[in-house]
Amino acid sequence: MPNFSRRAVLMQLGASGLAALTPGASLAQNRYADLDTQPWSFLDGNEARFLASMADVLIPEDDFPSASQAGVVDFIDLQLAGPYGKGAGLFLEGPFRDGAPEQGWQVDHTPATLIRTGIARLESGDTRLVDLDASEREDFVTRLSEGEDFDLGDVPATTLFDEIWSLVKEGYFSDPIYGGNKDYAGWRMVGFPGAHAYYADLVDKNAPFPAPPRGIAHVPGSSRSASTSRALTGSDADTQQEEG
Amino acid sequence: MATELPKTDVVIVGAGWTGLAAAKELADAGQRCVVIERGDWRHDATNFGAPEEHDELKYARRKEHMIDTPTKTLSFRNNSDQTALPMRRLGSFLPGKGLGGAGIHWNGQLWRPLPSDLQMRSHYAERYGESILDGMNVQDWGVTYDELEPHLDFFDRVCGTAGVAGNLNGETQEGGNPFEGPRSADYPNPPMKASPPLQMFRDTAAQMGYNPFHMPSANVTKAYENAYGAQLHPCTYCGFCERFGCGYFAKADPIICIYDVVKDHENFELRMNSQVLRVEKSADGKTATGVTYIDENGQEVFQPADTVCLNAYALWNVHLMLVSGLGTPYDPETGEGTVGRNYAYQTIAAASVFFDENVWSNPFMGAGALGMTIDDFNGDNFDHTDLGFVGGGYISANQTNGRPINYQPTPPDTPSWGAEWKQAVRESYLHHVGIVCHGSSVAVPENYLDLDPTYKDAYGQPLLRMTFDFPENDRKMSAYVLSKAEEIARNMDNVRAVGTVNRAAEGESYSVVPYQTTHNTGGAVIGTDPATSVVNRYGQMWDHHNVFVFGACLFPQNLGYNPTGPLMGLAYWTLDHMKNDYLQNPRPLMDA
Repeated sequence: MPNFSRRAVLMQLGASGLAALTPGASLAQNRYADLDTQPWSFLDGNEARFLASMADVLIPEDDFPSASQAGVVDFIDLQLAGPYGKGAGLFLEGPFRDGAPEQGWQVDHTPATLIRTGIARLESGDTRLVDLDASEREDFVTRLSEGEDFDLGDVPATTLFDEIWSLVKEGYFSDPIYGGNKDYAGWRMVGFPGAHAYYADLVDKNAPFPAPPRGIAHVPGSSRSASTSRALTGSDADTQQEEG
Repeated sequence: MATELPKTDVVIVGAGWTGLAAAKELADAGQRCVVIERGDWRHDATNFGAPEEHDELKYARRKEHMIDTPTKTLSFRNNSDQTALPMRRLGSFLPGKGLGGAGIHWNGQLWRPLPSDLQMRSHYAERYGESILDGMNVQDWGVTYDELEPHLDFFDRVCGTAGVAGNLNGETQEGGNPFEGPRSADYPNPPMKASPPLQMFRDTAAQMGYNPFHMPSANVTKAYENAYGAQLHPCTYCGFCERFGCGYFAKADPIICIYDVVKDHENFELRMNSQVLRVEKSADGKTATGVTYIDENGQEVFQPADTVCLNAYALWNVHLMLVSGLGTPYDPETGEGTVGRNYAYQTIAAASVFFDENVWSNPFMGAGALGMTIDDFNGDNFDHTDLGFVGGGYISANQTNGRPINYQPTPPDTPSWGAEWKQAVRESYLHHVGIVCHGSSVAVPENYLDLDPTYKDAYGQPLLRMTFDFPENDRKMSAYVLSKAEEIARNMDNVRAVGTVNRAAEGESYSVVPYQTTHNTGGAVIGTDPATSVVNRYGQMWDHHNVFVFGACLFPQNLGYNPTGPLMGLAYWTLDHMKNDYLQNPRPLMDA
């Protein structure tokens, strides 16, 4: 697929959409090190743009990156393409019946088909989420989260919202080896140091932990994981601002 | 047609805490033991090492160490008027799978029952009058604290438990839990350290006249050789404990504490990836003849045995009895039958404490049993006159799980997503602690386990069906204990906000979706009356004397403590009577 760029796909988000996603030099140490020029594993361009738009309402940019800036769309794409998306860990034997909320997931869908079907039905009209302005997007996500005004057939709106929001949080805060939390965006935001393991000397002290985050595939001597795809311009750690 | 294997002395279903303890004790007693486990072989040294194990997505969210619902789940409803539907995804509780079972991803909060917990009906009846228990199936366990104490003590030495004794041979000790039953010996190891919020909880609780102490911990604090000669190492407070295995050999688990010292025993054989389908019975139905299972090659085989030990997870033990026709299923209409009766859970509430920036909780520094606790509102440690409920729970400031996907504390009234949410998470994460109310759960006639009429598992067997909602008693208990926790929280210094969550709040039904605790109890309870218990006080089935039952399914009602300590005390109690009595002369150990 020549000249394909995920970034370019996501840039088609309209004037009120994403802050610029800065192309960055990659530090290719594994096959997910630079995802930008690889085709999506599961999503199509419209789905990716929808998820980026929605994810950035859920986790918008401030001093720290938005969800999509932190690679959440890449994360969701990989998750939906993999065992999780295909329903690993889900008992999917019928019959399917509408249940009480206390009975949990009762839809005849895997996460992947739920999200694909749900987005297709949400986007079946003339208006795309990416075409809305910021306040309209927020209103849309609010209504989706409350399940109002949406008839999505066998996809309950709140189930769809909960599933996407769950994936967005996972993408923002999981180890960067899964494609999200780029440059430890989520971990730097809260102050989680990652895969450090030894706090026996510190646990009873009332003091901040000094070291920057370190993931499972941490690159020694840097403040990044091998799986991140964007260059980090600053030196380090807690106060690092996004360059975009 | 199942292939019949050579007979063994004992067949053990499940290779978790109780199954491996049974194998070790019975193999040493000369019994040839075959342990059958549905999951994979694994070991702390090869499977749980950092940094790979420190993967919140894989283990805490995708739950790689837990049972997978496509092969094993249950159906659920809140009451008999509803149609039960399958629990399609794990949530409220997380049974394990594989070598070590749920003992791999437990927290290591290692408690003993209160003496009065084990005589709950007679204790409350004597102190308050029998009517305080109206509408409940609350029962005595049929075994006393004094009888269990040597076995509780032994398990402390298997785990290298860390803590401060509150009662040594009847003498109250400074700094421990003054309400606990007498210990015959001190904890094997000194208590864990206390993080800043735990220190604050301790000081505030003490100022309020309560009795704070370090939570008893199977995250060991010193290098320790356990009762079987296995070596444990000190906890690093890495913060990846619950839902994870411990590659540091610091959290006591069934593999490093027991499996390693029995695996080469000539009387021990372990068969992995093998799913037991049913216990077979003799022609007269009075004894079991062995178990039929699907082996690792997908073949159905029959393993004959003189003695059958059921050591699966509490829920699956009950399921196995029901699909095998062991005992008599409970009928909620008539109140008769016992298998599935007295299912109970745990009643969880919590206060959420938000500190100002002067208090660094650093929640990622943690351990499964890193807690500062008061027991003043547990069991019958406080006067229940006119309170309208029985039971209680411990209140504990815990620092166990500060991993950011699952730990995003926000003060009350924060939006659940968006810019304000993001800002609140960022401001709160390093300055927050949770105070849990770990409440008891009474048994009531309406809550029970049976077989689902519609849904089947991957082996074509009906799913277990759970019918459960929080009893009114426990809703009142939970609100009361939570109010005490909230009071402590508000009295702590440097607190800018306090939130609360109560899973058993009035008007809310129990849900299988949010995680609460993996403390499912009852369904095959212990006792002295065959009309109200599945097994006698030795853990032996009333109806089939060569079937012994282990685990939290034995609890007549759930106490306000984590179940592993009590259930392991029961396990060693049962094994003691098997080794020293039953096996020499197999017969019913009590008259029905």
